[in-house]
Amino acid sequence: MATPALSVEQQIKQLDDARKLVLSDSSHYPLIIQGILPIVATPARVELRRWVADFLAETFASPTIASSQKETMSLIVLETLKNLIENPSEDAAVVKSVVQTAASVYPLVFRWIINNPHDTMTWERMLAIKSRIFRIWDTAAPGVRICCIKFAQRVVLVQTKGPDADPRRGGSLEVSLSMVPPDHKLIPPKSLEAEASGLLDRMLAVFQENISDAVLVDATLNSLSILIRARPHIANKILNVILNFNPLKQANSPMTPKLRVMVKSMEKTTRSLLVHILKRDPQNPLGPRIQQYVERMMRSRNDIFDEASRKRGAPEPTDGLDPAKRQKLGAQVANATPKFLVPPLTPGPHTIAELFTVTGDEALKAFDVAQLSEDLVVKIGITILQRIDADTLKQAVEGVRQRYKSLGASQAELLNPETAPLGVDEDDDDYEPDFSTAETEEQILNKLDIISPDPEKVNAPDMALGHFTLPQPPPLTLLQATEVGQGTVLRVFGVMQTLEEKIKKTKGGLNRLAASAFDRDAWITILTRLATRTLTGLENTDEAVKPEPSDLEQESLANMIRESLRRYIIEDFRKRIDVAIAWLCEEWYNDQVQTKASENAVLHYEKWVLKVMDGMVPYLDASDKNVLIRFVSEIPGLSPGVLERLKELCRNPATVTIALMSLLFLHMQKPPARQMVLGAVEDIWDTYEDARPFTLKLFAKHIPGLGDRGKIEDVKKETNGMEAIAA
Amino acid sequence: MAQVQPQAEGTNGTSSNGTRPDQGGFKLKFCTVCASNNNRSMESHLRLAAANYPVISFGTGSLVRLPGPSISQPNVYQFNKTSYDSMYKELEAKDSRLYHANGILNMLGRNRAVKWGPERWQDWQIGVPRLEHSTDRGSEGVEGGVVDVVITCEERCWDAVIDDLLSRGSPLNRPVHVINVDIKDNHEEALVGGRGILDLADSLNKAAAEERAANPAGFDSGNAASRSGFDERVPEIIGEWQERWPNLPAVWTLAWF
Repeated sequence: MATPALSVEQQIKQLDDARKLVLSDSSHYPLIIQGILPIVATPARVELRRWVADFLAETFASPTIASSQKETMSLIVLETLKNLIENPSEDAAVVKSVVQTAASVYPLVFRWIINNPHDTMTWERMLAIKSRIFRIWDTAAPGVRICCIKFAQRVVLVQTKGPDADPRRGGSLEVSLSMVPPDHKLIPPKSLEAEASGLLDRMLAVFQENISDAVLVDATLNSLSILIRARPHIANKILNVILNFNPLKQANSPMTPKLRVMVKSMEKTTRSLLVHILKRDPQNPLGPRIQQYVERMMRSRNDIFDEASRKRGAPEPTDGLDPAKRQKLGAQVANATPKFLVPPLTPGPHTIAELFTVTGDEALKAFDVAQLSEDLVVKIGITILQRIDADTLKQAVEGVRQRYKSLGASQAELLNPETAPLGVDEDDDDYEPDFSTAETEEQILNKLDIISPDPEKVNAPDMALGHFTLPQPPPLTLLQATEVGQGTVLRVFGVMQTLEEKIKKTKGGLNRLAASAFDRDAWITILTRLATRTLTGLENTDEAVKPEPSDLEQESLANMIRESLRRYIIEDFRKRIDVAIAWLCEEWYNDQVQTKASENAVLHYEKWVLKVMDGMVPYLDASDKNVLIRFVSEIPGLSPGVLERLKELCRNPATVTIALMSLLFLHMQKPPARQMVLGAVEDIWDTYEDARPFTLKLFAKHIPGLGDRGKIEDVKKETNGMEAIAA
Repeated sequence: MAQVQPQAEGTNGTSSNGTRPDQGGFKLKFCTVCASNNNRSMESHLRLAAANYPVISFGTGSLVRLPGPSISQPNVYQFNKTSYDSMYKELEAKDSRLYHANGILNMLGRNRAVKWGPERWQDWQIGVPRLEHSTDRGSEGVEGGVVDVVITCEERCWDAVIDDLLSRGSPLNRPVHVINVDIKDNHEEALVGGRGILDLADSLNKAAAEERAANPAGFDSGNAASRSGFDERVPEIIGEWQERWPNLPAVWTLAWF
């Protein structure tokens, strides 16, 4: 394509035209590549060699060319690349581009060799390029050396094990040692992996040198991110080396401007990489060390460069103007009088901001709180609320309320139906802010500005928003409401479960206030009270006292919380017996209050005691004496149902003991229940013969004649038996 | 367009940018970056383009934000979807007086003469040809969709650029110098910053052109250490530039596309 008759400038121009062609249509690449390679085959002018090398680097980097097409082309250019880089007097710019090309080509050729293990020629060419690059790595100009570093990085990425991928497909970043069969003759994975390990060490050596060159350090740091992220097994090694690197070690005064730039650059680049890694992988085991390193670096940097004082404040969020110059529109609010007075708004429309602006200070008005970080705002807010004079606050609130009222009164008739369906007749398709993003509020305000009802009227004081009513949301169905409620309940439980359980309980005495600390206990108190007290009186009480709830009631929020509480307790009832008792006490208390208030109250205590017990009983074993005794003795009310559960425990030989012991405890400690308990014991005696010996042992004192009854029955049984035999 | 006030030309318009004749020769390719791709990056985009450098520009914010009637009511637009021209027309219709007075319309008027609309850095497909941008100012030379130097106008933009480049995993194997020049976000500072950036670009390009000057000795001839190329001279150039522009604190690194 380049005939000798043309001058270099003309040739370059032709080549530029060819390049424009392939940029617009990548299908011409193979043709152009074939065409330009002869240009550099003969001793060509340096301008032409540079052009070809740049073009090759651009071609193999281009994301528009398919990976397979690049693979085919890479085989064609290898010989040229090899010749260019092996020429000792080659121009540095050419070499730089050739090394870049080699870095892009290496994974392509590697994949080709995986699938074509007999193409020794191609692999030898690639090896020659590779070894040449590693030879000049240390001696070439820094501009070339950084490209050698990048080449080494690509080799390491290729020659280490990565996630499994199809060796025939995917981008060049996915080529890895995992694709190579273990018995590959040309590229035995074992030795390649060893080579990669050595290369990585050589790359990382830059951090251990005494005098560091910022260009090389930055080039290395900025190439490491993908190795750390995509090759976890070498990530630790890399991170450890970086964490031992001190980019500030050359920061000894006095620094030349150049050294200043270099040290700052190395520090900032190291920090950027570490922050990047920490952000992508917060669970990294080295996370705390990285965090520490980053913080230490920032402190040292501030000490060295003393930038803290010079650093300007947080930037404005908009490409805006100096607030001082911003023209103030709308009503000007008169200066506040010392006795906090909220000046009433002037007649006419106002913005929401104006409605709530109580200061007269222009500078203060212009201050955008959004500049501050969220926790700072929270801190300031809390401090202000703690210190503010209640009177002043009241006056301010009252002032704003008055303003609001007066606005409402004067503008009630202005309600404009056009503004209700938001942005329906928006015809500018170009401008369609995305409502899913966080800026919704801004955008709504923004839109409202646009659809101002009367464009003719746009003049300064009419900047304000018209009345805006959010359209009524569609009513929730019962099912949706239930789902949402359930979600909320789960969330509260989630919060509670993340909190640590208090190991040592502090006793607050009588003066303690429930749920005053934000620990697990507090949340439990809140939950139990939410369950027991929130819906009382709202329940369906058409029927008389009804122990059996209707379907509707079962769906109610309170019952949902109760059910969650029950599950929470059963999950680990031995530890959470406290919670169970606290909750059941609340239920009982609430039931009492309700029965006093209304005859028809729905009662919950009994039902849930039994539910909790039913959950526990199957899991009790002989060692749970304390749990069971504590439960039955501390719940505020005993019922036949509870005793029924205890009786059933006697069916299992393992739990006979604890059941009877808890009954004995009740008998001794709860005099009002004595009769009931004894009745239960008698039942046990009658029902479970295996439990008799132990019953006798425990209750002989309390049930007169129990022992005799035992003997009589024994005799009876014996005689019965004998009769049976006799018969 | 006709409504752009003449006084605006004095402060923002092209007339003060000192358009200079193209000297030819080697040209570094630049990219300027700020938050919204409207004020600072566009001021320097125009300046570099006027000095015949190949240049493109981006914003790193999530949305384009322009000041509105009050600080809490910015005008918000989407990157890559809204043209400067449509912003201009919209704001002019909304409140012509306000947006003339605060300089927003002048700015948009300038911008729409430079390129179609604000582009977002994170959406930039590096290395994809930009032939469809041929009418943009400074588009000549960046058809290939890559640049040599990225200049950001604020440290958090620099951070966003570096983080994004680290995320991309450097698939192009092409080195790029990323330099932050801290400029406050207002029209006056953007003008000063634009001058500073042009000075920096000139200094960098001078060094790069010197390196490109034919060097018969070859790269491997034993005296490589005595000769310095462009990349390693960058810190020195920035250091000297910083002495000239002490109010525009700079940060630099060598990253990869």
